[in-house]
Amino acid sequence: MCPNPGQINEQRVETPRGELLFRALCPPEFFLGLKLDPGLGRFAHYSSMIQKLEMFQRIASGEDGNVILALADGNTVVGYACCYYPSPGERWAALGKLMYEMGAIEVSRNWRNLGIAQKLVHMATDRDFYEEKIAYMNGFSWHWDLEGTGFTLAQYRQMMINLMKPYGFKEYPTNEPNVAIREENVFLARIGSRVSELDIRRFRKLLFGILETN
Amino acid sequence: MFDAYPKLVVLKDGTPVFLRPMVLQDEEGLNHFFSRIPERERWFRRENVSDPQVIRSWFQQMDYQRVLPMVAVRESDGLIVANLSLHRRAWGCLSHVGHIRIMVDPVYRGQRLGTWMLLDLVKLAMGMGVEKLVAEFVAGVEDAAMRGVQKLDFFKAAVLEDYVKDPQGGYHDLVIMVKNLHRDWSDF
Repeated sequence: MCPNPGQINEQRVETPRGELLFRALCPPEFFLGLKLDPGLGRFAHYSSMIQKLEMFQRIASGEDGNVILALADGNTVVGYACCYYPSPGERWAALGKLMYEMGAIEVSRNWRNLGIAQKLVHMATDRDFYEEKIAYMNGFSWHWDLEGTGFTLAQYRQMMINLMKPYGFKEYPTNEPNVAIREENVFLARIGSRVSELDIRRFRKLLFGILETN
Repeated sequence: MFDAYPKLVVLKDGTPVFLRPMVLQDEEGLNHFFSRIPERERWFRRENVSDPQVIRSWFQQMDYQRVLPMVAVRESDGLIVANLSLHRRAWGCLSHVGHIRIMVDPVYRGQRLGTWMLLDLVKLAMGMGVEKLVAEFVAGVEDAAMRGVQKLDFFKAAVLEDYVKDPQGGYHDLVIMVKNLHRDWSDF
């Protein structure tokens, strides 16, 4: 279960670096006038998953798309999480709107170790909506900022598992090619409390590329 | 470290199997498992796994830091269908190396079960700080397993020619396969 179920779309949080505004379910027009913190972007060994605000707009415009932002000074994005349904070409799309992806979580290099990622995940998952979904997250090591964090692949992987665990996500083996291509990659999922036994069975088989029709 | 267990894997034929660390209650199941392994294969194990006293001693000395034993159990009835163990040294020049031993029930071979178990162990070993995994195979007896680990980036590090003897007195090469567990991406 998500801790403290309920729905909070906006919260102000005090950090040692100043006050941050966390905002979930941002509407598409919300992103106009915002800017990305310089710690999000393109670096020698690492690039942010989202480098343009237009991407947030596109996600927020999609069906049930949810962009959660951490904002400094009211308009500077220092962290984000994005959630959406899988694209039609992806394996998980075979189960329709049962599957819901937490597609990206990132915190600016300038704002790490302040608990921002946890707060983003908390706000993303703190919705009754998730009880009817299988929420999932792909941890692809080629997106990991090993240089910025100083972590090894194993440490970064464990950090991701630890981040998602309090929100009911656990690791599932899968032969989905993008996950399976690197052994440090990780697939995490959370099965909502109202997901039927039949859908759980279909998910379990789809993890291994077996599509069971209703 | 073991929070995520049991982990479900679905085999090629659709059989659901759980992977999990071995526990004290598995002694009888493990004896039963080894009784289904062909005698010719048991011969090449480091210990006589046909002897229940040998198996009992494993359980009496169970220490996950020294030997991490994993089992695969059939979801429908809990039957042990594979056993894998990671052997480590707590101290010294080999403390970064893990030795693997794996055995799969003949009925479940060719179903990717060994691959799933090894892949899971690789992830566990990475988290434990292991830098190299080593597995030994008897040429001419365990060739299929050798081909399987090659697909997981194990490479042939050494061959001890005519090193082991089969029950009929014939000699076989012992092939030592190694996999490096990387700490980060290369700069290539």
